[in-house]
Amino acid sequence: MMIEVSGLQVRYGDVLAVDGVSFAVARGELLTLLGPSGCGKTTTLRAIAGLEQPCGGSIVLDGETVYSATARRNLATEKRGVSMVFQSYAIWPHMTVFENVAYGLRVRKLPRAEIDRQVERALTLVQMTAFAGRPASRLSGGQQQRVAVARAIAFSPNVVLFDEPLSNLDAKLRAEMRVELRELQHRLSFTSVYVTHDQEEALAISDRVIVMNGGTIEQIGTPQDIYDRPRNRFVADFVGSANLIAGSVRPGSAADGAAIFETAAGLALRISTNGTVRSDETTAALRASYIHLAPVGDTAADAMRGNNLSGRIQRRLFHGDFIEYVVTWPAGQLIVRRPPTEILEEGSEVAISFAPEHCVLLQG
Amino acid sequence: MKYLVTPLVLLICGSLVLYPVVFLVTESFNVGDPGQFPPALLGLGNYTDLYDDARILGNTALVACLATIMAVLFGFTLAWILTRTAIPGRFMLERLLELPYYMTPLVGALAWGVLAGPKTGLLNQLWQLLGGTDLLDIYTAYGIAWVMALFEGTVAFVMISAAMKSMDPALEESSRVLGAGKLHTALRITLPMVAPGIVSATIFVFAEMLGSFAAAFVLGIPGRFYVVTTAIWEATLSYPPEYGRAAAMGLSLFLVMLVMLSLSRLVLRRGNYATITGKAFRPRALEVGRLRWLLLAVCWAYVGLSVVLPLGALLLTSFQRFATVIMSQSIFTLANYESALQMGALGSALENSLLLGFVVATIAVPLVSVLVWMIYRSNMPGGRLIESIVMFPQAVPRLVFGLGLLWAWLYIPIPIYGTLWLLGIAYLTVFLPLGMRTMAGVVLQVDRGLEECARVCGASWLHQMRTVTMPLLRPGMVAAWLLIFIAGVRELGVSVFLMGPNAKVIAPSIVNSWLSSSSELSAAMALLQTVTVFIAVALLFAVARSVARGIALRGGEPL
Repeated sequence: MMIEVSGLQVRYGDVLAVDGVSFAVARGELLTLLGPSGCGKTTTLRAIAGLEQPCGGSIVLDGETVYSATARRNLATEKRGVSMVFQSYAIWPHMTVFENVAYGLRVRKLPRAEIDRQVERALTLVQMTAFAGRPASRLSGGQQQRVAVARAIAFSPNVVLFDEPLSNLDAKLRAEMRVELRELQHRLSFTSVYVTHDQEEALAISDRVIVMNGGTIEQIGTPQDIYDRPRNRFVADFVGSANLIAGSVRPGSAADGAAIFETAAGLALRISTNGTVRSDETTAALRASYIHLAPVGDTAADAMRGNNLSGRIQRRLFHGDFIEYVVTWPAGQLIVRRPPTEILEEGSEVAISFAPEHCVLLQG
Repeated sequence: MKYLVTPLVLLICGSLVLYPVVFLVTESFNVGDPGQFPPALLGLGNYTDLYDDARILGNTALVACLATIMAVLFGFTLAWILTRTAIPGRFMLERLLELPYYMTPLVGALAWGVLAGPKTGLLNQLWQLLGGTDLLDIYTAYGIAWVMALFEGTVAFVMISAAMKSMDPALEESSRVLGAGKLHTALRITLPMVAPGIVSATIFVFAEMLGSFAAAFVLGIPGRFYVVTTAIWEATLSYPPEYGRAAAMGLSLFLVMLVMLSLSRLVLRRGNYATITGKAFRPRALEVGRLRWLLLAVCWAYVGLSVVLPLGALLLTSFQRFATVIMSQSIFTLANYESALQMGALGSALENSLLLGFVVATIAVPLVSVLVWMIYRSNMPGGRLIESIVMFPQAVPRLVFGLGLLWAWLYIPIPIYGTLWLLGIAYLTVFLPLGMRTMAGVVLQVDRGLEECARVCGASWLHQMRTVTMPLLRPGMVAAWLLIFIAGVRELGVSVFLMGPNAKVIAPSIVNSWLSSSSELSAAMALLQTVTVFIAVALLFAVARSVARGIALRGGEPL
């Protein structure tokens, strides 16, 4: 394991900003900390970098304990050998692009020729070689972002931390940089912890995602895991678009990760569970993209999906990449996303169907 | 180590700042022998005596009210013209309008004394040439208020400009889009939005005018017209010196000003919807058509009245053999500059002031930088307490603080009273808030990430300070140095009490020379002081521009 965080606690005054967070990051893995602002994700990242002083737990980087509350050990930031891209980019305005990127190399007292070579390599990777001589104060936001990345990778660190690196860019540039960062991370195979509040970005870029809330971890898993099987209401709500259905599991129906869920309106749905079912579990989540709609009477494929119901299209919103339908059904309203090729008229009766494994019982 | 630093800093700052105040408070209750410390007899007599001086209180209120009305009127007009209308040369005018402040009310009062003194004033002579009788008399409450408004009212312009600039033009535009006319928008949207800024500026300026000293001193004393500040000065000179009464007046003035300044801040915070974002907008300039030449003329008239005319009058006077003779019989001479620059008592005053400004600025800047770093960047305990102590002298009228310092250092068993050392310590104490404000502005604008990033890149704390922090702070430090140097060269309120016969400084020397009715020598000295200050101001403007460029790039915001 490249990074091991266990039982981490960080206190701000009376508030525990991070309250007992544990996770491990494998060599070459990109792990994302995802959550709303104030959930402790950035604080966790800064604690790994040594920029926040934790009050409990331990942090191990590449086998070396850099922080331990019990051993009273807290290694200074500059001795940890990690690198970081800041949300504000933190490009030094009094230096040129070259000097910014060369900083970490000069600190390490590399020979001049080696510095030139490494800066050139880093700037090439982010396509900024043409700007090497430019004062850093004369760069656009996107260019600053690229320089910040070049600076972070120039001294070939094993660990690169990203603190919301794309949040100040416009949507189009953000989507481009997402792909580039992922390419770069694969090519150089450094280990990364990536902080973001953008769930789409988290799902797209990560090997694994940690969803955080209120200083604690809500769920750890691959992007697919988090999306398909949200563990609780918070994750289902924060990641992706999900319909939350109130009801309860029919007693005695739970077996082999499946169960019958009776909604408050009296519908019986086949759902999946995470093994044991507790009595306080009264919500099921159903992803908007996993619901099929078909004109009534077109029953060709419906029977295969396990849950077949009927409803009526109340509203159709054309988004371009998809169409969002607001469907009324016996349990209230359902948000459904379909590809733009499946066009149904407002007011028409539709058959609703979805597979039991896509309707997930939530904890709490 | 960490736990030792805070108490140590607290002790040093506390003794510099609070020790004089303790003396002042004690003395104000001393109703026995004013020269005795600690006092043998305590009582409220000094405070109740204040009511007997109803005339002084009335004079003070009259002058402060008149000056405030004029200053806010000028400030509002100029701020409106410069921020809301498209007149040519706005940027340069904004800079020119700051000059009267740097010229100081002392120099302004001298110049206007020369311009508008009864009978011999240059403007009066001109009027007489045109066949009139005496037109203006500057040695009145109106004259004092006029000079105070011109040379201390700059703050009104700055505050009201800030309020006008912080308003999002979209707020007015949406009013227009919804169908309201220009006038309706101005009355229902613009005015309510900027009103808190104007009210706050008015209260602030009024408080400043209450504590103003120089103009009332130069123009009031000859006619025995006293306001609170000049009465304090007079009380310490009378025989036997009425230190108790002076202290009681000073403390009362301080309390009134403190309440008003807090009120001003409260109004601004409570009522200012506009500055919530903290963003500065450049509001869309009103198309004023041919009216803009009139508006431009108003701005230049102000510059003329507050800079060109006074400096011209001083220049003319400083070359005169006798200032008070009729212009047609004038005799030009350079003798006044010779006397001013000679190594006599007066020449050394300028030299001492330059030395003090230089040394105090050089000591204060590193000191303040460390303090600012401790208070705003390290999580050191007691940072806020240090801040409030260091910033305290700014709330006390300079003259009152000078009185406290006089007392405090008279009774300390170190023989520095009447030397430049004492002046240096006093300057350092009263200029700390100025340095703190300047440096804090610079430090807070340097994104913490810039420093943290250096550490993450592997730099040690020392290396980070050398390669990142210091280069980013340097322009701010130069600006702070220049501001303190300027403040040192023009200092009057504290110096007037602490200057000794062997340790003269320029501003009080100008006053003394003026009071011994040598206006041509005073004019020469005032001009020398003004030239020194203006050179420093020019450097400041040059640095300030590069400071702005350096810190504009804050974090990810592109230029």
